[in-house]
Amino acid sequence: MLSTDLRNNVLVVRVAEKRIDASKAPAFKDEMTKCIDSGQNQIVLDLSSVDFIDSSGLGALVSCLKRLGPRGGLAVAGATGAVSRLFTLTRMDRVFALHATVDSAVEQLSA
Amino acid sequence: MVSSISLSIDSDLDKVSLLARAVRALCEDFLSPDDQDAVELSLVEAINNVIKHGYQGKPGKDVQVAVGLQSDQVVIDIIDHASPMEPQLLEQPAADPFSFDETELADIPESGMGLALIRMNMDEVQYLSSETENRLRMVKRIERPLP
Repeated sequence: MLSTDLRNNVLVVRVAEKRIDASKAPAFKDEMTKCIDSGQNQIVLDLSSVDFIDSSGLGALVSCLKRLGPRGGLAVAGATGAVSRLFTLTRMDRVFALHATVDSAVEQLSA
Repeated sequence: MVSSISLSIDSDLDKVSLLARAVRALCEDFLSPDDQDAVELSLVEAINNVIKHGYQGKPGKDVQVAVGLQSDQVVIDIIDHASPMEPQLLEQPAADPFSFDETELADIPESGMGLALIRMNMDEVQYLSSETENRLRMVKRIERPLP
């Protein structure tokens, strides 16, 4: 479900699913937790292939943020349409830094 | 113009997206892309609740969705045969789960957002429970009714 790539000490995690919903959220959370527990604490989540997230998926993202802790960074790149709408609607856009591109998200976290 | 269609799946979270995409496609000619997003999200949240809470994750139970396309609104009924939801969950909504303090990591919600999202995204939400079934009715008004 996830593919990863290390850039400037920032882990770029690309989600290869079109939907992060209640059926996919547990696996998503498990894979993300493995990335975090392997020592990565600056993560860019590339959601450009994702066209739908429900509250279970959003909850999984929040859970990752909590696991990273206050010194970690989790930025979101490439959220559009229904995905970007969900972040705004739930005011999670105050929690996750939303970037149009992976490049700008990596730049922010590696600064 | 009034037409309606019924769809059903069994209580399997893997099948919710099939239903959601079908209903979204039905609404395409009537609702703006934003309103289609609103309907799809509400439907998914409602069905997830039925499967996770109503049927407690048990497979092999039925979830029916009836979509009514009317001249001025889309009416979506989600029908199940689980134990009914406590009506006060809908009537007296708990505190807004999205009014959290974003600087307090522990305050940011990980669950309990589904019903709030449904209320925010639909124009009317009604829950009817009888001896034979539970029915969650969600209405989305069509902004510019078709001639």
